Amino acid sequence: MATREAEVPTFAPALTPERPVTWPKRTRARLSNGLEVVLAEAHSIPKFHGELYFRAGNALVVDRAPSLAEMTATVVRTGTAKRASRQIEEDLRRLGADLGTNAGQDTSAISFAGLSESAEPILRLVNELAREASFPEGEFERERRQKLEEVKLERTSPGFLAGERLRKVLFGAHPYAQVSPSEAQVAAYKREDLQSVYGEIYTPENALLMLVGDFDPPALLKTIEKVFGDWTGKKPVAKDTAAPPKPRGRRVYLVHIPGSVQTQILAGCHAITRKHPDWLRLGLTNSLYGGAFNSRLVMNIREDKGYTYSPRSGVMPLRQYGYFSVSAAVRNDVVAASLTEIFYEIDRLRSVPVPTPELADAQNYLTGVFSMGLATQEGLLSQFSTVELNELPGDYLETYRDKIRGLTAEDLLATARKYFDSANMQIVVVGDRAQIEEQAALFGELEVYDNQGKRLE
Amino acid sequence: MTRLQIPIQSATLKNGLRVVIAPDAIAPVVTIGVYYKIGFRLEPQGRSGFAHLFEHMMFQGSENAAKMQHIKLINSSGGVLNGSTMYDVTNYYEAVPSNALERVLWLEADRMRALKVDDENLRNQRDVVKEEVRVNVLNQPYGGFPWLDMPPVAFRNWANAHNFYGDFADLDAASLADVQKFFRTYYVPNNAVLLLLGDVKPEEGFALAEKYFAPIPAGAPPPFADPKEPPQKEERRGHVEEKFGTLPAMAIGYVLPSRRTPEWFAMALLDQALHGGRAGRIHRELVLEKQIAVEADGGIDDLFGYNGPTQLTTRILHKPEYSAEATLAAFDTVIREVQEKGISADELQQLQVKWRSDYYSTLEGGRGGYMPRYGLMHLLACFTLFDHEPQLVNTILDGFLEVKREEVQRAAQKYLRPENRAIVFRTPVKSDAKEAA
Repeated sequence: MATREAEVPTFAPALTPERPVTWPKRTRARLSNGLEVVLAEAHSIPKFHGELYFRAGNALVVDRAPSLAEMTATVVRTGTAKRASRQIEEDLRRLGADLGTNAGQDTSAISFAGLSESAEPILRLVNELAREASFPEGEFERERRQKLEEVKLERTSPGFLAGERLRKVLFGAHPYAQVSPSEAQVAAYKREDLQSVYGEIYTPENALLMLVGDFDPPALLKTIEKVFGDWTGKKPVAKDTAAPPKPRGRRVYLVHIPGSVQTQILAGCHAITRKHPDWLRLGLTNSLYGGAFNSRLVMNIREDKGYTYSPRSGVMPLRQYGYFSVSAAVRNDVVAASLTEIFYEIDRLRSVPVPTPELADAQNYLTGVFSMGLATQEGLLSQFSTVELNELPGDYLETYRDKIRGLTAEDLLATARKYFDSANMQIVVVGDRAQIEEQAALFGELEVYDNQGKRLE
Repeated sequence: MTRLQIPIQSATLKNGLRVVIAPDAIAPVVTIGVYYKIGFRLEPQGRSGFAHLFEHMMFQGSENAAKMQHIKLINSSGGVLNGSTMYDVTNYYEAVPSNALERVLWLEADRMRALKVDDENLRNQRDVVKEEVRVNVLNQPYGGFPWLDMPPVAFRNWANAHNFYGDFADLDAASLADVQKFFRTYYVPNNAVLLLLGDVKPEEGFALAEKYFAPIPAGAPPPFADPKEPPQKEERRGHVEEKFGTLPAMAIGYVLPSRRTPEWFAMALLDQALHGGRAGRIHRELVLEKQIAVEADGGIDDLFGYNGPTQLTTRILHKPEYSAEATLAAFDTVIREVQEKGISADELQQLQVKWRSDYYSTLEGGRGGYMPRYGLMHLLACFTLFDHEPQLVNTILDGFLEVKREEVQRAAQKYLRPENRAIVFRTPVKSDAKEAA
């Protein structure tokens, strides 16, 4: 299907014929220990980018403490049976490598990049971190104290406070409600807890190794077998989780920061995961609503009214559940006006079919931006990771553009009605109570909290 | 050792517009940039923040593409766009599927030739910019620290020392006449470079550049104020209140040598030795070993992209149980050590390997996976506008790889002196964020 021509000014040159978009071939393998490997060539620079993913994160171990997998990841890089922290950092530099360890709700990961000429020693170091992390007592203690300061600090960021409150409202007793530990919970972290999380999550049966870059896949696969081949370990046991609540009716949650000179708005409702058959149509609907610079929301509250610098909307796909949200940091005196426009644009998409030229614009945008990922190793890695971690069909990347272009205005109307759950959106506003409470209360029953999460009268 | 070589072709149009093309066939995507040699450093006095406000105005409409059309035309071609205002340059850039190249060039040429904006557009963007300042600075813990806090402490020349994001009174005072004057003065083809990177054939790129940009008349050579600083004789210190954050913070900045001198190459390596992540001496000493600081990082902000006084800056957030003076003393110990003992041959080798690796990543990306070749574009633009030598992209790496141990030590001794530095202390108003509301 060709690019659809959108409405353009009289003198603007037409688009010339499209060049084919071709995704690099992936080499896939599964080692006898269960480690899945995906490799793709990209010769833009003499480097490679990689991720060793583990398919479990904070959510799996939240019964022990929030963010425990993240804390585990932090300490993983600080020592192995063979190398002390300083040695690890200097070896990375010697190899021209960058490395990060992190965990989210559903995954833990060691990410790395380096010069192609040093691929093997870099992989050896990654292997060591994945198998032989030693959790030195002193390093653990330091990282725990660091974390204590970080959790105090994040409670001063409006964006953090908004996200935290929305998660609590949407997920209740489900692990996804816990985005960060309290100071007391950090104080109670134990080195042994990290070691047991490490033992459960960092196993080859639970892992996926992805590499994109300037290398020869068959040769690199041999190196990988040599380095990771004798690693053993089983998948962790999945746990049952509480179902998230289904909030009915709009409610407003005000997080009070005295002296705030702006208000962070974040409103959201439950939606779907990436595996859901409606994912692409929701992606297109979101792009049109507030996912792009020329989207309705941005044109309305930024380019027309000047209420905000950075409005946006998105669908956050966690593994078990996804949610739709819209955010804007706005002037204190236009909180009600901004919410009115936010809902106006949602309701309009639910009520009136999108005009054909606007639909074509949004389709061209999504399909074009999708192929930007082809131009860099990081972009490719991110696209391939999305496919693998969400177990999407093998031709997902190759068929994405045609599927987006095949959607109609009727599809979008139905999608907006189904997932932009206007009547049941949960609204968080973070700002100075005295300046915004009256405006916020216009949109639903109001609950007020302080920045520590304590309910205020 | 594999060395990356970027094929580069360049030309100058009759109106003085430089055109630089770096073709490759990696993906059907082209990155287009237009850089103007004017940033916030040399914006008009009494109009702090104007260069940035003006950048916003460049998205508000031109003669043949009204407001909204600029953004809409790029997005609906499948591309992304943005602009940014820096010390000495302002850029406008797009990454699009390569079939939109001609359309983007038409659009960039239209706004270079005839910006068309009105009072309503200016009011609108003034409001947007104020919310940008609030979300990034006024309503954020450590907002603007230290990039907005440091200049008034470190420098004496207004050009280097003023509020680059803009005092709200100055933003309010900006008029449409200011917009048009700034446009006529600095946004002339002879003060700009056009860059085409990625999926473009050079002969086609040059032909399109000629077609759309050649008809734009050259302007008078723009006047540039002198950003030179009077000599500094002693350490400078300043204090700023932190309204939201819980930790005391400080930033220490040392003025750098001129670009592309042997000392500048050595300073860049010294920067890596001091600030290169967890292996960097400052992070290692203050965060990992002495555990005084929670964060200690820094560097040279935009090493290749400045054309006036600038600094090597360290940013530290430290634990409240340590005083500012104790923290500074620990920092000074790190500096003294490198001045007295220099760096080992092994450390220098590590730094140079990492430098080469980082340089390649800069060229390939620079702004995440969805803005391909941002770094290459930026370097080509700066080397063209400041050095008239885009090919430096392929040769400048040698300068860093040739630095000797003694040069790093001498640079530390010569530049990391108290009388060459300024310190800003950013102190929380309340010692703990907990408070009854």
